[in-house]
Amino acid sequence: MASVSIEAAADKRGVKGSKPARLAPNYWPFVVPALIVIGAVIVFPWVFTLWMSVHSWTLGQEQTFAGLDNYIRLATDFRFWESLWHTLIFTVLAVVVPLFLGTLAALIFDAQFPLRGFLRGVFVMPMMATPVAIALVWTMMFHPQLGVLNYLLSLVGIGPQEWIYNRYSVIPSLVIVETWQWTPLIMLIVLGGLAAVPREPYESAEIDGANAWQKFRYLTLPMIAPFLMIGVIIRSIDAIKSFDIIYAMTQGGPGTASETINIYLYNTAFSYYDIGYGSAMAVIFFVIIIALSFVLMMVRARTNWSDVVDR
Amino acid sequence: MAPVTLHNIQKHFGAVSVIQDLSVDIADGEFVVLVGPSGCGKSTLLRMVAGLEEVSGGQIRIGAREVSDLPARDRDIAMVFQNYALYPHMTVEENMGFALKLKKANPADTAQRVKKAAEILGLEKLLDRYPRQLSGGQRQRVAMGRAIVRNPQVFLFDEPLSNLDAKLRVVMRGEIKAMHQRIGTTTIYVTHDQIEAMTMADKIVVLHDGNIEQVGAPLDLYDRPANLFVAGFIGSPSMNFLEGKVEEGVFRTDKGLILPLPANATPEEFAGRPLVYGIRPEHIRVGDQGIQGRAAIVEGTGSEIFAKLDCGSEQISCLFRERIDIRFGDTVGISIDPKQVHLFDKASGRRL
Repeated sequence: MASVSIEAAADKRGVKGSKPARLAPNYWPFVVPALIVIGAVIVFPWVFTLWMSVHSWTLGQEQTFAGLDNYIRLATDFRFWESLWHTLIFTVLAVVVPLFLGTLAALIFDAQFPLRGFLRGVFVMPMMATPVAIALVWTMMFHPQLGVLNYLLSLVGIGPQEWIYNRYSVIPSLVIVETWQWTPLIMLIVLGGLAAVPREPYESAEIDGANAWQKFRYLTLPMIAPFLMIGVIIRSIDAIKSFDIIYAMTQGGPGTASETINIYLYNTAFSYYDIGYGSAMAVIFFVIIIALSFVLMMVRARTNWSDVVDR
Repeated sequence: MAPVTLHNIQKHFGAVSVIQDLSVDIADGEFVVLVGPSGCGKSTLLRMVAGLEEVSGGQIRIGAREVSDLPARDRDIAMVFQNYALYPHMTVEENMGFALKLKKANPADTAQRVKKAAEILGLEKLLDRYPRQLSGGQRQRVAMGRAIVRNPQVFLFDEPLSNLDAKLRVVMRGEIKAMHQRIGTTTIYVTHDQIEAMTMADKIVVLHDGNIEQVGAPLDLYDRPANLFVAGFIGSPSMNFLEGKVEEGVFRTDKGLILPLPANATPEEFAGRPLVYGIRPEHIRVGDQGIQGRAAIVEGTGSEIFAKLDCGSEQISCLFRERIDIRFGDTVGISIDPKQVHLFDKASGRRL
């Protein structure tokens, strides 16, 4: 009886046999605005970038089809490979250092102590500041003669450093700024993870004979691993795309010492007006980001959330 | 295996005193159950033995060692928690071998001990599973396996069956008891369920408000409860308590019901004293003579019938093991076996 009534109801709705349901024509007005927005802001820019990347197009000149010439040129462009290397170093450091410090901060803020809430609020403030303002303040702090950092170093007997004005220290200096701004984000993510970790296994571990380090190594770390992976994914994608702070502080200098792919493609497209070559760089950069995201998502998928949540 | 001695144990949380001057001797290999209502301090006492709570006063000895100030890891005990407290990111095998891994034991030896414990508990096929992939009963067995692998001097169980359904609880109860009989390790088991206490313990310690009410073998507590609290707590359904006095060779309740005196009681001994008359529901029989009661509640389980009878102004709970035809509103005659009657002093609550 039940199956009869279900079939009857299906017939009334116009659903027959195993054919998938089709949208009625009057549904389209609801879908079209979203399709227009997605097409305009996502699909079109990428199709246009792809189109530009296979053309030789310098602003103010005729566009000519170039096929894969721009991509072949990239493969032999030393400056491109150098910018790729800078991007890699910057990204690794700007992920690892905040991850380590953010986890440490989360462990500290997970404990109970006076003024914890207030101090945690102060700690997350750098996250709220705008990148260009941060860049301005840190540029002043890094100033070899007038900067407060060299003054502080002089108090402990260390000579003045050149910070962002030296080709060897510029990337570590930029990483310091990035770390200062984004360590709080990792702290918040890990703190959320620590709150989700069950407390009972720690008593078991205490009885099983674990000391404080062993509890962290064998319990805390594996149980917050899914949260750390979220932090790594967010930070990696953010760091590899980093532009504003680097551009505002060094414009890729001194020379090209801090020129990442993002800065190089910006300069190529908007300083040298070589739009076609810059677009090819953008396409390659996009592929790298997608590949990185895919790898990280694969790793994250292997870190099962239910290890922590489902007891 | 080792004896455990709790001597003058006290526990305070700030100004609140949870356990006051409590002493218990637990023999080597004994299965002792700490039982009592919620908030009586039984879990706190167990956690003090485990080293998870500090002792405010007194001494805890395991074997010849004074362990009151030792951290949990140095006490050579194993504990099974109410919520299992398994390591969620480790497999069953890793869970069971974790303590040995921390001790840097030989991996081959660890694997051997885990395998042996898994055999005892029927976990051989589950060793590569994670806790989330196990049922409640299986998780509980893993928790026990983790304890067995360590081969400790003392097993501690903190209400380990509370999260299981009624049927599984009965199965696991049998398994824990069987495990104890097989391994023989000194065991301290905490529960609020007096059935668990009665069925598993060699010795029961009844706790109430941080004090020991009575210590003894299960049947001793059932047959000879020291006071009203133990009499009411041990046994299900609870013992009937009727207040009254001994007058003219019988017990007359305050509401006028006349009941037979205990078999060996001399009426002169109790005459005029305010008393509490105690009779267990299962010690009341159906009979034409004596007390007549009207059935206010009748619950049949198949194997027995529980009824609450209004006998004048008193209400008496009865548990009939024989199949009788009794329905709500029926009038039933009951008789009380004088050999099973207890008398308690109303003022002190002590059994007379």
